[in-house]
Amino acid sequence: MTQSHESVIRVSDLKKFYGDVKAVDGVTFEVARGEVFGMLGPNGAGKTTTIEVLEGLRSPDSGIVEVFGLDVCKHPESIKQRIGVQLQSVSLYPRLTVTELLDLFGTFFKNRVPTKQLIDAVDLGERANARSMDLSGGQQQRLSIALALVNDPDLVFLDEPTTGLDPQARRSLWDLVKGLQEKGKSVVLTTHYMEEATELCDRVAIMDHGHILEMGTVPELIGRRFKERAVFFDSTVKFPAERLGKLGGVTRATQEDGQTVLYSKDVAATIGGLLAMADELSAEPHNLGIRQATLEDVFLDLTGRALRD
Amino acid sequence: MKTLIALTIANLKGLTRDRAALFWTFFFPVMFVFLFGWIFGGSGDAKVAIGFVDQDNHSAASAGLQQAFQNVSLLTVQTGSLSDEQAAMQRGDIAAIVVVPEGLGAAAGSKTPTSIELYIDPSQGQTTQGIQQIADKVTGAANLELAGATAVIGVQDKTLQSTNISNVAYLVPSILAMALMQLGIFAAIPLVQQREKGILKRIGATPLARWKLVGSNVLTRLMISLVDAVVILGIGLAVFHVQIVGNLIEMTALVLLGAATFLSIGFMLASFLKTEEQAQGVVQVVQLPMMFLSGIFFSFDFLPGFLQTVARFLPLTYLGDAFRQVMVNGTQVAPLGVDVAILTGWLVVCLGIAARSFRWE
Ligand SMILES: Nc1ncnc2c1ncn2[C@@H]1O[C@H](COP(=O)(O)OP(=O)(O)OP(=O)(O)O)[C@@H](O)[C@H]1O
Ligand SMILES: [Mg+2]
Repeated sequence: MTQSHESVIRVSDLKKFYGDVKAVDGVTFEVARGEVFGMLGPNGAGKTTTIEVLEGLRSPDSGIVEVFGLDVCKHPESIKQRIGVQLQSVSLYPRLTVTELLDLFGTFFKNRVPTKQLIDAVDLGERANARSMDLSGGQQQRLSIALALVNDPDLVFLDEPTTGLDPQARRSLWDLVKGLQEKGKSVVLTTHYMEEATELCDRVAIMDHGHILEMGTVPELIGRRFKERAVFFDSTVKFPAERLGKLGGVTRATQEDGQTVLYSKDVAATIGGLLAMADELSAEPHNLGIRQATLEDVFLDLTGRALRD
Repeated sequence: MKTLIALTIANLKGLTRDRAALFWTFFFPVMFVFLFGWIFGGSGDAKVAIGFVDQDNHSAASAGLQQAFQNVSLLTVQTGSLSDEQAAMQRGDIAAIVVVPEGLGAAAGSKTPTSIELYIDPSQGQTTQGIQQIADKVTGAANLELAGATAVIGVQDKTLQSTNISNVAYLVPSILAMALMQLGIFAAIPLVQQREKGILKRIGATPLARWKLVGSNVLTRLMISLVDAVVILGIGLAVFHVQIVGNLIEMTALVLLGAATFLSIGFMLASFLKTEEQAQGVVQVVQLPMMFLSGIFFSFDFLPGFLQTVARFLPLTYLGDAFRQVMVNGTQVAPLGVDVAILTGWLVVCLGIAARSFRWE
């Protein structure tokens, strides 16, 4: 991690309501220079709203919102010169080509990266002269990311950048984000993919109903909630839940995605007891395994919902 | 400046690559010119054929009248018996028949009131009116001569032409006005599209000043409107020989004013419309009645009273009127100054409303 203590983003008690909907209801966080900060949360949690306030696209109802130490309401122009923005859902001028769009957006900024370089960065070389309306969904997404980088921004906002990308394109976006971090840039991203947040983010915030429920590094978040490891299996025969809960070492037994998960302080005792119980019920636990608790577990525990619903 | 140019070029590229938009902005008005040109036939200097039937045994009076009609350069005159000429008229070869009845020469000599007969084909509309006017002038001149006065007033083609503008000459300015109206009002559609797709929002996240985005849209449409004007007038001149009397500066200024006025209406509509489908519909609801009510294709004297009142508020009425006055010396609805003032009024009001209520997302 190459972080300095200087904050590029400072948000304090931010609120943004739409009529009765409290989209963002008192959010406080900071992002340090060189940090990759992730926002996780179920649909409608308020991630996009928070990001769009930071981008100067929406005005906050209350709270302090500073980017590069400048108030977003008072200095939108100078902030916009230095940030890169990828919105969750936009299409672009449909009849302009990839190259034309990048050239056009380049003229909006003082700083500009050569178009060729941007096209290579998102691997759109073969489609450089295709109209944006003719691109596939994933290619449009990559174009949208390239557009976020035209001004060589110091701070990049990526709202669900890998949604719709194939696994290879997702990997290459991860490399791109890591490359940005190596150059000392800061990144704020939202995602519904746990492995993406784990792989990329120095710190994550988990949001729901307009609040940040928990914030920290991924190991911190897991460690805070789960000292145990998880024993998981599935079976056609139902294992009685109250008996599972009393197996050796088990602190909690739950169902996740059709699997039975036993959080355990003593994995050996738990598995031994489980197998004895299976014998007795003449059932067989399938896909039996042990793992560390993951961000997904933290997320479920906090929000009661899976990351992707 | 470089941003403004880049955006304008982007807009122009977007337009020229959009077949539907191209059709509506260029080919549709051009199609109108040709369609109306052919339907209403006869351009300003095309000749009208009439038949001349002399039943007065080549009296001096009838020979003089025949000569007088032949002297009218708008007419070609053929002679024959009444039944021959009637057959010719039924075939559509000639538009009217002038008959000099027996005894006209004698009656004229004794100064007894008498008259020539004029057979006309009412289905020929404006041509008929013209021939009636011509016949009036010719006989009027003949009367003066018979009364012993010198023929100071001849039949001048010029007076006849300007009181009787050919249909095409009347329609070309109208079609130009229509094209500018559609160009401006249709501008609402791409704006709503761009907002719906989030393009305006995406641009809002860059430091680009908003006036430049609006400015590039205005610039694009004004450029297209000038091209449209050149194309429409060019066809009017080259194919249908419409005489254009106005000067270039006046016309350019009017084209730009008209385009800007309707563009401001387009922007205003875009402020209130949310989806592209809405925009497509509302734009038609605005432009179609305007096209038919504002007297650009037929005089609104035919409309019932309350619709005439509506027509007197429509900007297209005044743009069409201004074009006719400047281009072909047509009869006017209002003085040119009033036309310009009303158009400017619409421009200012609609632009004000658009500026207050336009939403970027
Ligand atoms: N322009 C708006 N008008 C009214 N309500 C809005 C508007 N934008 C967002 N909301 C509401 O605010 C809440 C937060 O929305 P937001 O887009 O920030 O969620 P999100 O966390 O980005 O969700 P997702 O994961 O689905 O992208 C939602 O309930 C949403 O319906
Ligand atoms: Mg979102």
